[in-house]
Amino acid sequence: MRFSISTRYAMCSLRRHLRRTILAILGIGLGSAVCLFMIAFVRGEGKMMLKAAAESGAGHLRVVPAQWPETRENDLRLGDWENIRDLVRDTEGVTVVTPHARTEGLLAFGTRVAGVEIVGVDPETEQETNRLVRNISQGHYLRSGAPGTTVIGFGLAERLDVEIDDLLMVTAAGADGEMGSAMLRIVGIAQTGSEEIDSAICHVNLGDVESLTARPGAADLTAMVANPKRLGHTVRNLSEKLSDDYAVVTWEQIMPELASGVKVDETWTRLTVAIVMIVVFLGIMSAQLAAVLERRREFAVLSAVGMRGGRLIRVMLAEGVVLGLFGSVLGLLLGLPAAYYVATKGIDFTKMYGGSDMAVSNVLFDPVFKGDFGWWLIPLAFELALTATILSSLYPAWFAMRTDPAAALRVEQ
Amino acid sequence: MTNEELVKAEDVTKVYDTGKIEVHALTGVALEVRRGDMLAIVGPSGSGKTTFLNLVGALDVATGGQLAVLGQDVSAMSKRQRADLRLHALGFVFQAYNLVPVLTARENVEFVLELQGVGSERAGRAMEILEKLGLQEFADRRPNEMSGGQQQRVAVARAVASKPQLVLADEPTANLDGENAEILLAMMRRLNRDQGITFVFSTHDPRVVAHAHRVVTLVDGRVAKDENKTPASLSDEAADSQEK
Repeated sequence: MRFSISTRYAMCSLRRHLRRTILAILGIGLGSAVCLFMIAFVRGEGKMMLKAAAESGAGHLRVVPAQWPETRENDLRLGDWENIRDLVRDTEGVTVVTPHARTEGLLAFGTRVAGVEIVGVDPETEQETNRLVRNISQGHYLRSGAPGTTVIGFGLAERLDVEIDDLLMVTAAGADGEMGSAMLRIVGIAQTGSEEIDSAICHVNLGDVESLTARPGAADLTAMVANPKRLGHTVRNLSEKLSDDYAVVTWEQIMPELASGVKVDETWTRLTVAIVMIVVFLGIMSAQLAAVLERRREFAVLSAVGMRGGRLIRVMLAEGVVLGLFGSVLGLLLGLPAAYYVATKGIDFTKMYGGSDMAVSNVLFDPVFKGDFGWWLIPLAFELALTATILSSLYPAWFAMRTDPAAALRVEQ
Repeated sequence: MTNEELVKAEDVTKVYDTGKIEVHALTGVALEVRRGDMLAIVGPSGSGKTTFLNLVGALDVATGGQLAVLGQDVSAMSKRQRADLRLHALGFVFQAYNLVPVLTARENVEFVLELQGVGSERAGRAMEILEKLGLQEFADRRPNEMSGGQQQRVAVARAVASKPQLVLADEPTANLDGENAEILLAMMRRLNRDQGITFVFSTHDPRVVAHAHRVVTLVDGRVAKDENKTPASLSDEAADSQEK
C-alpha cells in the first residue's frame, strides 16, 4: 500500500524522534488504559446496582395508581389490578409481574413489639422478583391459598424472640380509620446476611393485607424485564396501553436516592476520565509543539515550495492520528486484561466497609463489585485516544501554519 | 511591464518593525528581472539581498512601492494565492535546510509534484528529473546520507520539478567547497540555457557572480549598481573562477 508523500512525511517525522514518539504513545496508552478500566468498572457497578435494586423488590418497573408518584401513599390501590397484571405480563420484554400491597403495622409477640412495613404478596411470583426472600433459612416461603401466615426476617425474629410456628399479632390502620388486627403464623424466616434488611422483612399473602386494611386489591404491580437496556422502550410501550388512572415508574423513581447515587458515581467517573484525558492531551500537545518549534525552518521551506497552510495542518493531524492509533492499541493491551480481571474476579469491598453488610435503602449489594466487559471497549479505546491526539495536534498545527517563512529562513551569517 | 519582464520592482520598500526600532531593509528599490536572466544580487551583509528575494518569492510582502511577479501584484495577493504562485511558478534554493530530512531525494522532488496535484505518475516524473540532472544515484538516499553539494543539487532538482519560470537561490553556494559550487552553478547554467529558467541569486560568492549575466549591487537597502556583463567578461570570469 503506497501512502502519499504527506502521509509518509508525517510517519517518518514521528520516527525521526523515536524516543519522544514512544513516550507519547506510552502516555496515550496508559491514559486510555486507565480510562477504559474506570469506565468498564463503573458500567459494571451501575449494572450491578440496577440488578440489586430490581431484585430487592423494586423491580425494573412498576405500575402504580396515577397519584402515587406525587403522594407515595401506601393506601392507594390499583383498580382492576388483575386485568392490568395480564396486560403487563403480555407486554413485550416483560418476564414476570407480581402484585404488592403495603401497610405500616405493629407485630407483637408477648411483650415484644416491632413496627414494620407489612408487604402483601403473591407467593407464586414474589420470589422470582425478590431475591431477598429466596434465602429462607428456616421453614419455607409463603404459599398460595394459605392465609394467616407470614415470613419474617431473621433480625425481626431475634428481636421478637420468635421461631417457626409462633403466632404473631399484627395491628394496622384500616381504611375506615379503625385499627384492624389479625394473628399470623410464622412459616418461614428469611436471612440475607444484612441486619438492616433482616429486621425489615415481613411478607404476608396479599389477601391478608386486604383483610387487615379493608382495602381490596393491589397497590402496585412490580415487573422485571428481559433487557434492562430497553427499559425506556418497555415503559413507553406499556404507558401507551394504560389509561390515565395508572402510571408506570422505573426503579430510579422508586428509589431516587439509589438512582442519584449511581448518577453521582457515573459523573465522578466521567470527570476523572476527563481529567486523565486532559493530562494526556496537554502532554501530547506539549510534545507536538516542541516538534513544531524544532521544525520551523523545515515548515518554512515547505511553505516556500508552495505547501498551503491547510496541507500542513493535515500533516500535523496525520501525525496525531498515527500517535492515537498506536496509543489505542497500547491502551487496549494494557486495559483489556485489567478490565477482564475486574469483570470476572471483581474487587472485594468487604474490608472497606468494615466487614459489615452492604445494604442501602433495603437493597442488598454484593460486596464484590464486578466491572463490565465487552467488544464495546475496543471502539472506546480508539475514540478516547484519537480524540485526545487529534485535539492536541490542532494548536501545534495552527502554530506551524502561522510560521512566517521569511523569518524562519533567516540564517545567521 | 514587457512580456520579457518576469519581475518588476518600482520604489519597493520593506520596513521591519521590531517594536522598539524600525529596520529599513529596502528603500526605493527599482529593478526588473527579464526572462532568461542569470541575475546576481550582491552586497554586504544586511544590504537587503535576502529581503528582496523573499519579496520576489512571495514569502513576504513589501511595505511600500509596487512589485509585480509574473504580472501579478504580490502585495495584493492573499496568503493562499502567494502559496499557489510559489508552487506553480517559482522555485527556491536556500543556503541550508533545503530538503525534508526524513524523505529521500526522490520523495523530496515528488513532494512538490504531489502538492501540484500530480497523480500516481509523480514517482516516475521525479525519477526522470533526477536522471536528467545526473542525480539518479542519490534517489533513495536521505539528506544525511548525502554531502552538502549533493543536497544542494537535489534541491535544485526539486526547485525545477514544478517547471517554474523563475528560480530564486539565496546563497546557494555558501556552504559548499569550490568544486561542488562549480558543479552546482554549471547545473544551473545548463538549466538556464536549455530550459530557459530564469535564476536570481543573492550571493557573496564571486563564483556565482562569474556565472551571472547581470549583477545588481545593494547597499543599505538601495540599488547602488546594476550592470549587465558583456559576453567576453562573462566567459573570462567563469574561466577564472573555474581555475580557482
